[in-house]
Amino acid sequence: MATRGMNLRNVCCLLLYVITAVLAGRDFYKILGVSKSASVRDIKKAYRKLALQLHPDRNPDDPKAQDKFADLGAAYEVLSDEEKRKQYDAYGEDGLKEGHHSSHNDIFSSFFGDFGFMFGGNRQQQDRNIPRGNDIILDLEVTLEEVYSGNFVEVVRNKPVAKEAPGKRKCNCRQEMRTTQLGPGRFQMTQETVCDECPNVKLVNEERTLEVEIEQGVRDEMEYPFIGEGEPHIDGEPGDLRFRIKVLKHPVFERRGDDLYTNVTISLVEALVGFEMDIIHLDGHKVHIVRDKITKPGARMWKKGEGLPNFDNINIRGSLIITFDVEFPQTQLDEQQKDGLRSLLKQGSVQKVYNGLQGY
Amino acid sequence: MELIRAVHGFVRSLLFLLLWSNCEGRESELNYVTCGSLVKLLNTRHNVRLHSHDVKYGSGSGQQSVTGVENADDANSYWQIRGKPNRPCQRGAAIKCGQAIRITHMKTGRNLHTHHFSSPLSNNQEVSAFGENGEGDDLDLWTVQCEGVHWERDEAVRFKHVGTDVFLSVTGEQYGHPIRGQREVHGMSSSNQHNWWRTMEGVFIQPSQELIRHDEL
Repeated sequence: MATRGMNLRNVCCLLLYVITAVLAGRDFYKILGVSKSASVRDIKKAYRKLALQLHPDRNPDDPKAQDKFADLGAAYEVLSDEEKRKQYDAYGEDGLKEGHHSSHNDIFSSFFGDFGFMFGGNRQQQDRNIPRGNDIILDLEVTLEEVYSGNFVEVVRNKPVAKEAPGKRKCNCRQEMRTTQLGPGRFQMTQETVCDECPNVKLVNEERTLEVEIEQGVRDEMEYPFIGEGEPHIDGEPGDLRFRIKVLKHPVFERRGDDLYTNVTISLVEALVGFEMDIIHLDGHKVHIVRDKITKPGARMWKKGEGLPNFDNINIRGSLIITFDVEFPQTQLDEQQKDGLRSLLKQGSVQKVYNGLQGY
Repeated sequence: MELIRAVHGFVRSLLFLLLWSNCEGRESELNYVTCGSLVKLLNTRHNVRLHSHDVKYGSGSGQQSVTGVENADDANSYWQIRGKPNRPCQRGAAIKCGQAIRITHMKTGRNLHTHHFSSPLSNNQEVSAFGENGEGDDLDLWTVQCEGVHWERDEAVRFKHVGTDVFLSVTGEQYGHPIRGQREVHGMSSSNQHNWWRTMEGVFIQPSQELIRHDEL
């Protein structure tokens, strides 16, 4: 009896093992931490965040870091491509055709640039003696809608790349002082240009696509660097390409830090009797406003949580501050209307004279 | 059986259509020059790139000089393609042939500019870099003359100045010290083989997915 039970258990375990082995195609959605219905933008955002965390250089103590990082690259490669994602959703990882697989380095460098990866320090500290090519700074205009919801900008970088060429060339040229003897006791010092011999190099134009993320809450003048994507230097390293964010003016909202300011004009009647309205926000959602008391011109309404997400913690949001101004009726009133108003409003004459510019 | 076959055929043709429409629909602006892109412009006749630097003309207007250089790896040869003042073009939108643009020097923030001054070497019209932080005046506008609808990246185009109607050109005159070997860039009124330019290296911005936008007021 016991052995029969044990055998059954063994068979079950074996079967389970086989099943999981067969289904062991990776769950790409889980690796990226996104839902099955995630948009391409969500996928790019998830990849970029995780790539920074899981890069092997950043996890030198984790023996599985290389594998985790490779899984991340494979997940991104499949889910960011419409065709491959469809195949994966239908057939799993094994159903993917043996197409061209871009190396993970390519994917990583389209988000961060070319030249390896440095964590925390400036590369200037290590490479003071190696000459660097020029940096390129591109002013990237972004709308307030993009600051609110985030976005990705695809960019094609066509740059000259140093490639080996036949022959030799002069490099590391420098001035040196040479002393030559003209005669007994007579010397002459001259300046000479001395060069080393290096393998010959020619510049060839290459192209690649880069992904720039406009993160939620990004501030004006913030920069997104792509290491090594700047101008090449024949004798050294290429410079960097930096995208400098320039937030454009918006016709409805004004940004102050994480808060948004807007103005609403209401009629005199609405100011006196109250009103109800919707303000359409940057991502299309409606902010509902109800007012049943008298609204004075210049009155402000504070809507918490309806501002911009904070760049460092997007769960914190600023406020939306609405300032109301009142539009008075355009037509003049006749005597009957004036009498009616006097009796309706029951407000006596005020006529206070004071210096308003000095706070009296 | 017939029905199944019909359905099968229908599904196949639908899938084929979808596949084909995918290829079409992916309208990548990869081949077009777009608003906001940073480019190097090569004069095809003389093989030099449009260039500027913090060196002023010694004659004429005395403004920042614009030249043509031979080397391909100088960041001072990058220019940003921008729309008209007060009418910014949409980032990533392909520039249309005939559209008026500003060409802003990346490093110094000055706009490609020309005016009624003589150029120092050839006595054509002086072309300078003018303005601060990308803002200059009405003489910063150039129309892109090209065949077809949009400015293509590998197409040779002409730049015609809005205001003085001259074409951006190089005819080969060379400067001496301190910018030895650099060519003079000037405006000339006739369109000929000296005023063809094409984009070379650069950072070309693709259009992004539409987010919800507000209409222009």
